[in-house]
Order: sequence, then C-alpha cells, then structure tokens
Amino acid sequence: MSEVTVQGRQLVLLAAGFIVWSVAFVALYAMLSVGCAYGWDRIDLAGGLTLQRVQLIVIFLVHLGAGLWLARALRPASTSRGDDHPAQFLRHAAYGTAVAAVAATAFTFAGIFALTSCY
Amino acid sequence: MAALGSALALSACAGPLSTLQPEGPSARGAAMLWWIMLAGSAVIFALVSAMLVLAYARPGPLRAAGPKTIMVWGGLVFPGIVLTALVVAAFALGERMLATPRDPAPMRIEAIAERWIWTFRYPGTDGSETRNRLHIPAGQDIDFVVTSGDVIHAFWIPRLGGKIDAIPGRENIVRLRADRPGVYGGVCAEYCGEGHAVMRFTVEAHEEADYEARLAAAIAEESAR
Ligand SMILES: [Cu+2]
Repeated sequence: MSEVTVQGRQLVLLAAGFIVWSVAFVALYAMLSVGCAYGWDRIDLAGGLTLQRVQLIVIFLVHLGAGLWLARALRPASTSRGDDHPAQFLRHAAYGTAVAAVAATAFTFAGIFALTSCY
Repeated sequence: MAALGSALALSACAGPLSTLQPEGPSARGAAMLWWIMLAGSAVIFALVSAMLVLAYARPGPLRAAGPKTIMVWGGLVFPGIVLTALVVAAFALGERMLATPRDPAPMRIEAIAERWIWTFRYPGTDGSETRNRLHIPAGQDIDFVVTSGDVIHAFWIPRLGGKIDAIPGRENIVRLRADRPGVYGGVCAEYCGEGHAVMRFTVEAHEEADYEARLAAAIAEESAR
C-alpha cells in the first residue's frame, strides 16, 4: 500500500479563491451600510459619481485584483493533468477554483456599478 | 393527474396573505418573477428527466456528444444564461420597489412595531393613530416609514408587495400601492417572540374620494375604545 500525504497548505489553497470572494462580500456589505448611514450617496464627486459608489468600486477592484493575482500565482507550471498524484491534482483544482472565484466576484458584485445603493 | 395535483396545490395559494394574488405593482412584479421561475424550473426539470431517460433508453446520441460537451453546455453555459437573466430581472424589479425621492412626494404613513402590536400614524391628523388596522387610499403610492419600539420585526403586506425590517432606532421606507379598494392581510415577518404568530394587521384600502372620511371615522372609533 502506498501512502499519500497531503499538506494542509494545499487544502487552504483549494479554498483561497473563494475566501477572497467572501472577504469582498463582507467588505462591500459592511461599507455599503456605513456609506448609507453617513450619507455618502449624497456626496457627488464628479458627474453624478458619488463617494458611495466610488468607495464600493475601489473595494470591488481591490478584491478583483487580489483574485486575479491569486489565480496567476496558482497557475500550474505544467499542463499535464497529473490526476494520479494528489498534490498535482489539488494544485490544478485550486487554480480552477481561483479562476471560478474571479468570475464569481465580477458577476455577483457588478451591481455596485449601476444599482441604487441607499433607500 | 398532474393537472389535478397542481390545481389542488395552487388552490391553497388564495386568501388574504397570498403573494400569488397580487393587488399592487410591487407584489405583481414579485409574483411575475415567481411564475417565471416556476415555469422555467418545470421546463428544466423536464429536460433533465428526458436526458436521464435517454441515457438509459438510447445512449447513442449522448455518448456521441461526449461528457465534456454535455458538462460545458449543460452545466456551465445553460445555467449561466438562466441565472444571468434571473439576476437582471430581480435587480430591475428591485429598483422599481425603492422609495426614491420624487415630486410630489407620496403620502407617508408611519408603521411602528412593538411586541405584538402594529401602530399606524397618519399625516395631517395631529399624530392620530390606529392599531392593527391600517387605512390607505387605493390607487396611489404610499411610503411606509417603518420602525420598531423594541426588537426587530418586519412589515409585510403580501398582496401589496415586499416586506421590510422594522428596526429599533432606524426608519426603513417601503413604497407600496393597492390598485383597488379592498381588505388585505398584513403580518410581522421576522420572529420577535412568543406573540409573533399573532402579530397580524388588517389593511383597508378605500376609494380615494372616501379616504379622509373613512380614516376620520376609524380614528374616532379607535380613541373611543
Ligand atoms: Cu413582530
């Protein structure tokens, strides 16, 4: 019987993409409420762009950038599937999950560009 | 059989609290979305069932398509399109329900929730109140300013539209309209203690011309109680 060891780090990397997504979710939700409480949606910075929308867009872009950076860092060096070796497989899965998380971040939070934020 | 079953099931969807008997634009939007989702999910269920049967009865075509094609188109592209359409529809409907400022401003009625009573306060009546009975004019938008005196409750008139939380120390506003006169049910939609289940109220929508007289009568009756 062959023994296979999987490092804890690899399991964390598997979730890394969606951890970035969930941090973005909490940050946007929290700052949306903070902005509404302080009336940032009534502070017009330029051409109808409010302080509220700008700060949400900044948070969005920071997390989108972090997700992209993560996906890039996780990209496997070889294109071989390597399903036979668990570590190799986990690396591929972590990369795929990170890419999916970037897509999810762009899709689920795109509403901040157009939707009414307060009321 | 299926038709009989769904007729029986849907007959349970009538009554004073039925979201499927909308009487205002906000509720109609939500009901419409619900019907679209029901019809859509029925079609998708039929499609998946047909593929399952096909996989057993005549696996040839599915095998020819290959697992990758089926997974990418059936598991990614198709749900992607469906979910995008639903998200866009929900956002568009949601935007229409917001109480955005406008001129002239709609009538504002305060709704105060306290365990386990609803108090409604009307504009231009020196702060007069009615309890557990809400009187509104039909055919016009009303902004309900919702708050709470103790714990978190939620204000919901299912046949008129979306619910909103009643939070102590905060005022949340929801814009609703009853298309025509009638009596509709309202409930507390956030668990708030042992009296939650009976924390109901009644909404009476009156003809616009009769509204002031009806409201005055209701207030007089209330203070005589
Ligand atoms: Cu309650």
